[in-house]
Amino acid sequence: MAAIELANVSFGYPSDPSVRVIDGLSLSIADGERHAILGASGAGKTTLLNLLSGIFQPDEGQILFDGENVQGIGPGARSLTQVFQFPVLYESLSVYENLIFALKNRGEFDAEASKRVTEIVGELGLQESLERKPGQLDLYQKQLVAMAKAIVRSNTRLVLLDEPLTAVDPIRKWQMRRVLRRIQSRFGMTMVYVTHDQTEAMAFAEKISVLTTEGIAQTGTPDELYERPETPFVGHFVGSPGMNFLPVEALARDGLVGNGTTMIGFRQDWALIEAVGGRPKDLFDVTGIVRDVRLTHTYAGLEVGLIHLETSDGEIVVAGGKLDIGSEAGIRIHKVVRYEDGRLEATDDR
Amino acid sequence: MIVKPRRDKAWLGVLPVLLIVAFSAVVPLMTVVNYSVQDVLDFNTRFFVGLEWYEATLTDPRFQAAFFRQLAFSATILIIEIPLGILVARGIPRTSKYTGLIIVLLAIPLLIPWNVVGTIWQLFARSDIGLLGVVLNSVGIDYNYTSNPADAWVTLVAMDVWHWTSLVALLSFAGLSAIPPAFYQAAEIDGAGSWQIFRFVELPRLRSVLVIAVLLRLMDSFMIYTEPFVLTGGGPGNTTTFLSQYLATMAVGQFDLGPAAAFSVVYFLFTLLFCWLFYTSVIREDDG
Repeated sequence: MAAIELANVSFGYPSDPSVRVIDGLSLSIADGERHAILGASGAGKTTLLNLLSGIFQPDEGQILFDGENVQGIGPGARSLTQVFQFPVLYESLSVYENLIFALKNRGEFDAEASKRVTEIVGELGLQESLERKPGQLDLYQKQLVAMAKAIVRSNTRLVLLDEPLTAVDPIRKWQMRRVLRRIQSRFGMTMVYVTHDQTEAMAFAEKISVLTTEGIAQTGTPDELYERPETPFVGHFVGSPGMNFLPVEALARDGLVGNGTTMIGFRQDWALIEAVGGRPKDLFDVTGIVRDVRLTHTYAGLEVGLIHLETSDGEIVVAGGKLDIGSEAGIRIHKVVRYEDGRLEATDDR
Repeated sequence: MIVKPRRDKAWLGVLPVLLIVAFSAVVPLMTVVNYSVQDVLDFNTRFFVGLEWYEATLTDPRFQAAFFRQLAFSATILIIEIPLGILVARGIPRTSKYTGLIIVLLAIPLLIPWNVVGTIWQLFARSDIGLLGVVLNSVGIDYNYTSNPADAWVTLVAMDVWHWTSLVALLSFAGLSAIPPAFYQAAEIDGAGSWQIFRFVELPRLRSVLVIAVLLRLMDSFMIYTEPFVLTGGGPGNTTTFLSQYLATMAVGQFDLGPAAAFSVVYFLFTLLFCWLFYTSVIREDDG
């Protein structure tokens, strides 16, 4: 276990070092924290992971494990482990042999280590599979073994998880997420989970860093990212559907003025749809109301319970059931976050 | 309910393939089997002799000698070519601008006609004018493949290794290239050394291509004819006379059609047997 610190790290691939894939990135991960790096494809997630694991070394800046600079130290000597997108196991070895492979290599397979292996095997329910070869297991079980393998060494300082649920059957993903959280809290490992899937990041992490090509847009708890995204990008990226954004002038409320780049953002469940002609005197206790709203369609299927609206200031999505209102309606918003020049300014919550 | 249309005429589509297989494999084989149980004196005079030729073939000391020679040759080249091919494949960089060039260079021996390979080595190894032979003799090694059986063997094996190791290397390289980098990464993280990476990452994943490589080399080397025929002509004495050459002498040289046919069938069955033995042992291991 270790606290991980990235200080002003920059990196460009040797083929074209002038292109900084990671540019001046700083990030702190506390000892024993479940941290997710959430980013779209091409944001540099894998590069960041490879910098942490030691496959790449930063061109500038430092990576510190418990304050120790790990510059120049390769993956084998950083006391970290990695779980990959698909199960990476030694196919000719049994599950048990896989689990103790790294321990044996390092001459650490003693009575204590053996006890720990037994404990992990029990925790993950792998008793039945120990003598089997990976080829005889399904993907879910194989990935469980890969996870067990990642935590067998008690001196593991960091566990890297590279979209570990990609290959897992969708119906078992929740199961695996629970397992991951359980073993993390049981064995107290520092874990860094890289994913493009916000559900995965939200379900797993205590803290999430949203990675963009520009660097880390925001680091915070899942709640913070959801409730108070610091930039419209984070608001769009986190949450499904993403946050709604309107120019501040769209709110029919006194005292809300902006300079044209001032935006308000609100989640779909921070707003209510209402027929025009409601009682105006009620408006004083809400954040604001948007007029000229045209109902275009309600979502079906996965996103049932959402209403798609067209306003004179753009499309927005709010929560709600089937509606039978005229084509004209208003939406009443009771909570917004306010952005000035694309940065979070204030949260207006009544 | 979906009713599948009956396609009564579908078998017509398979007919051309059946005919081709019949004429290319089954009919010639049956002809050989037919000859193998008869004593053919001339086109119109033949006698049924039952299994006499088979018995004669199997008890023929020259056949037996050629058979064991053949086994020794196949075993030798497999023992050398498979590990060497893997070693070469491991040495080829996977992502270099030279990878393509290296592969083309490696493939060159495979593109040379077999009799040309024999001729190349016949000239190359000659102790009077060949580069190899002259150099070996000039450094004090008494080398002459036309008079010394051991030299002839070494030359034959060297020629086959030169000719076919590339095939094993290219197959292995394809197999190695298919291993995702994550497996190497994981092994490095686990503190695995080079040998362990080979043993636990690469070898298990090379298994299927190596099965193919061994089968191809086993079959091919068991049926080798052209190269030794050109290089040594089976000599000195009979020390490099392999089954196919003995067979050719019988069938074309002496025109003993009956015995040659029985020999062919036995030869064919042995080749089949060895491939089957190897393959089933590999498959059984997979199940276990």
